[in-house]
Amino acid sequence: MTVTTFTTMGTVVTLRGAGPAAAAEVRAVFAGYDHRYSLHDPASVLSRIAAGTLRLSDAPAAVREVYALALAWRDRTGGAFTPHRPDGVVDLSGVVKALAVRDAGAALDAHAEDWMISAGGDVLVRGRYRPDTSWAVGVVDPARRDTVVGVVRLDGTRRSVCTSGTAERGEHVWRRSVPTFVQATVVADDVVTADVLATAVVADDEDDLRRLTAPGDVDVLAFGVDGTVWATPGAARVVAPDAGAVAPRAR
Amino acid sequence: MRARVVAGGIVSSAAVLVIGWQLGGQPALTAPAQQGTTASGGPSSTGGSSTDGGSSASGGAAASGGASASGSFTGAAAETQYGEVQVRVTIADGRITDVTALHLTDRDGRSVAISQQAAPILRQEALQAQSAQIQAVSGATFTSEGYTTSLQSAIDQAGL
Repeated sequence: MTVTTFTTMGTVVTLRGAGPAAAAEVRAVFAGYDHRYSLHDPASVLSRIAAGTLRLSDAPAAVREVYALALAWRDRTGGAFTPHRPDGVVDLSGVVKALAVRDAGAALDAHAEDWMISAGGDVLVRGRYRPDTSWAVGVVDPARRDTVVGVVRLDGTRRSVCTSGTAERGEHVWRRSVPTFVQATVVADDVVTADVLATAVVADDEDDLRRLTAPGDVDVLAFGVDGTVWATPGAARVVAPDAGAVAPRAR
Repeated sequence: MRARVVAGGIVSSAAVLVIGWQLGGQPALTAPAQQGTTASGGPSSTGGSSTDGGSSASGGAAASGGASASGSFTGAAAETQYGEVQVRVTIADGRITDVTALHLTDRDGRSVAISQQAAPILRQEALQAQSAQIQAVSGATFTSEGYTTSLQSAIDQAGL
């Protein structure tokens, strides 16, 4: 299967099932978000807001809508996820990558039935890897990034897997107190939910985890700093023995 | 593609070893397995002993030449982040067909919970990695520089 990769937003995007035209559209989606929301680019809308040369209320509607979305997620996560840096700067990087992946998915939909996109480890899929095989996403070992500790099979309505960790470079993980988790993987129907909740869980404690997972609309696999592994019922199969995996492959 | 079988010392690095195995010539995947554990002594049921987890073979017949090997091999107990773990690896025709956690610590209630999770994890990672049934890796966001050495990069290069 064709694999396309390109660098954007400080990380690398991997595409599968995308032809050159689709890949070009996806690149444009990421470039557009980066152009507006990057705090590394002094000319971006967010940088100008941070510098005080542009008022948020005067920002383009699309930017204000993203900010509103981030605020809604702040409320849903009880503040564990927030678009405000400790120094007061509005930082939307916590949702922007996921939004770019979401929009990239919409672009890919116009080209193919089966595709996968991963942006720095945030994964969204559609359809299947092969006619008889679901897309499968390995969950990295929080202690060793070259090791996989489990496999998420994306079938049914679950289309996205996102992971957040204390090793994350992202500035949007701001710890509220003593850390409980070193890594959280969230499996959800959409990439924004998965990404935001993964960020929130890492910033949260056990009680928050129970609260966030109570609605049952996501599956979570979380690794505690003490070595405990937490899994919702839906995520338990991620680390459960799977007889099908034993089948030998043809060389 | 050459099979590499390491039984001793496989304890806490099963996935790394097996990933390197199934992709054969992909050096990016055969990341050095730095155990950082207390694995010591040889496998209890074989003469071969390996604690470096990198390239040694055990059981003689399973050397890196890719010769077919069969049988069960028991690794030395190792202290992992999940507690003390010992693994038995079943090999048929040079391929791992089963991984069984033989001993898991239960120092206190919490450790039991940890261990109960660790067993399926260790088993799963070895088996899944061998069959290469993943197309993406979800982890804390890597940088564009970090991608080069990431598992995702290796999978992309392999075009699996």
